[in-house]
Amino acid sequence: MATRFELVLEAEGEARQRGIAEEVFEEIRHCEASWSAFARESVISRVNREAHGSVVVVDSATFELLEEALRVAVQSDGCFDPTLGVLMERHGFRGAQEEGAGTGSWGSSAVQLDPQTRGVSLGAEGLRLDLGGIAKGRALDLAAEVLRDHGVERALLHGGTSSVLGLGAPAGLPGWRVALSSDDGAPIAVLRDRALSVSASTGRASAAGGHIIDPHSGAPCQLSAMAAVISTSASLADAWSTALCVAGERVLSLPSDCQALCQGPLQGEPWRPGGTLTDQFILPTQPAQGQALPA
Amino acid sequence: MATVALTPSLAELSPLRRTDTTLSVGIVGTGRQGRAILQELQQIEGVEIAAVCDVDPGRLKRATRRVRGLTGYATVEELLEKESGVQAIVIATPTHLHREPALAALEAGKHVYCEAPLAASVEDSAALAAAARKSDQVFAVGLLARSNPIYKLARSFFRSGSLRDLVSLRAQNFQKTSWRNTSPDPEREKALNWRLDPRISLGLPGEFGTHQFDAYHWFLGRYPTGVRGSGSVRVHKDGREVADTVACDLVFEDGLHLAWQSTLGNSYDGRYEVYSGSMASFKLAWTAGWMFKEADAPTQGWEVYANRQTFHNDQGITLIADATKLAAQGKLEQGVGLPSPPVHYALANFVEACTEGAEVNCSAEEGHRATVVGICASRAVTSGDDVLIDPELFDLR
Repeated sequence: MATRFELVLEAEGEARQRGIAEEVFEEIRHCEASWSAFARESVISRVNREAHGSVVVVDSATFELLEEALRVAVQSDGCFDPTLGVLMERHGFRGAQEEGAGTGSWGSSAVQLDPQTRGVSLGAEGLRLDLGGIAKGRALDLAAEVLRDHGVERALLHGGTSSVLGLGAPAGLPGWRVALSSDDGAPIAVLRDRALSVSASTGRASAAGGHIIDPHSGAPCQLSAMAAVISTSASLADAWSTALCVAGERVLSLPSDCQALCQGPLQGEPWRPGGTLTDQFILPTQPAQGQALPA
Repeated sequence: MATVALTPSLAELSPLRRTDTTLSVGIVGTGRQGRAILQELQQIEGVEIAAVCDVDPGRLKRATRRVRGLTGYATVEELLEKESGVQAIVIATPTHLHREPALAALEAGKHVYCEAPLAASVEDSAALAAAARKSDQVFAVGLLARSNPIYKLARSFFRSGSLRDLVSLRAQNFQKTSWRNTSPDPEREKALNWRLDPRISLGLPGEFGTHQFDAYHWFLGRYPTGVRGSGSVRVHKDGREVADTVACDLVFEDGLHLAWQSTLGNSYDGRYEVYSGSMASFKLAWTAGWMFKEADAPTQGWEVYANRQTFHNDQGITLIADATKLAAQGKLEQGVGLPSPPVHYALANFVEACTEGAEVNCSAEEGHRATVVGICASRAVTSGDDVLIDPELFDLR
């Protein structure tokens, strides 16, 4: 994760707004502390240290996230993979490198989960979990639950701008309007109790390419690759946008609660996706106040 | 000046308890601390979380949805009645509401882990500690320094005289948070904001200070004899009376002072304790610890394996357990820091005490004495007076 989260919410009074926001960010910090591959005391770091050749028991929330990650890995034909820590290091996306960093293997089929004991084991030498976006998405989902617990009906929350969750809608509008890119003419997604994830290699890049790695080749995707997915679940939106970004022109079958807004390479200015672009949840032009949600 | 990061032995760091005995645990109170405990207990082998309870439906829901199939109750009575197989109870209710559920659990024959401070009044704290002493059950208090492997290692250096003559003790707990909780239900909201209610809250000295003061009690083997303090609302001017920024000066019999500051308005440098002696200083920050050596301090053998760090003008040396092995693997960096959150080690000790008869790291008596110091510090801040810490307050009737 290690990214900036921001929140807009509607609630009465500044003290109340602050109190709710602090609980939301507390939940996000808790997720970060559990699932970051960077923090030594995180549950994921412990699995990466100790689950080779033995079983590490994790908490229920972590186990359920790992189950979801492996499920998407299978459904996406390996285009999404939560075990790319080694490759992220190898391609220079994990900061200063220690000696020996970037060596090891990847492949989610070597991760074994035991639902009876919530045990996790890593069946390949050097295999390391790196949940990345799916953990960020789950943090947004849990944060939204905190907002609902407090009776908040309208809020917008994002993590690193690439994952956005809209709760309810701003007064008088069909939903929260979020541009798919900062480029002029970029389509506007409309979020009402939905999450949006945009995956694009251009966000961070090394000499070898963008920060999204193709698990099949082990190499970064081409810089023009991008995909956007909308879902009721921010974690699924994140995992599937990554999978579609990797898949390129390949067609993947998404679960029923996920919809691909676009999939394909960026092609010049003004913003125009080269791949598919669905119109549900998308406003074709900058909408006027109160414009209805497209059918 | 050199800095030495303190890293405990690998055996102590092992975050998993391995036992054939299953301990069935119930958690009372599912606020932030209760939920943190819930997560850590799930990672201790041999622990089964049977149920949780909280009078606040929102908080209860946030706990039960974290664990598949976890049962939630509104009251401790209901939990004790319906979950008769529960062997241990964790008390993570607001401080002023520890006594009743903890006594109920002891009376029901359950082992008890109680968050610190033990209570919001000396009377409640003493009553709880006395009941724990009379009971045959395990009673552990959540003063986490005593279980923290980094603190244990630092204490062993301290007790062997590494700092030599103590000259200064200072600590802080800085956070950026309002301490304000919200609920759609106004009555619940009032109850949730107990820390902002001057009638029942021990404020920053009680809620934060107690934990840090106790680290000093444990290192020094003695308690302060008096405390003066001051506090004000400097940031969160929302009508609250409980200070959001405080300073306390705790005095020991030999004239040694502990200067402690805390605020809810700034998070720089977070929470740490410093011990300064004529040969070295410790800075202990809960998930990491360092030793800053004076130029004339003797060199020790383990420094050969130390990892070096820079702190402004000081070059630091990191001490790492099993340094020879880790150095050979090029993994010295991986030995820095605590592998699990501090509360994990206190809970692991409690589980070991329940299942294997191990001694608890923080007893009810020790918890009571620390609570008394926290209460006195709180009184000093609210009254502005010098408060004597009468050793008779430590007595259990």
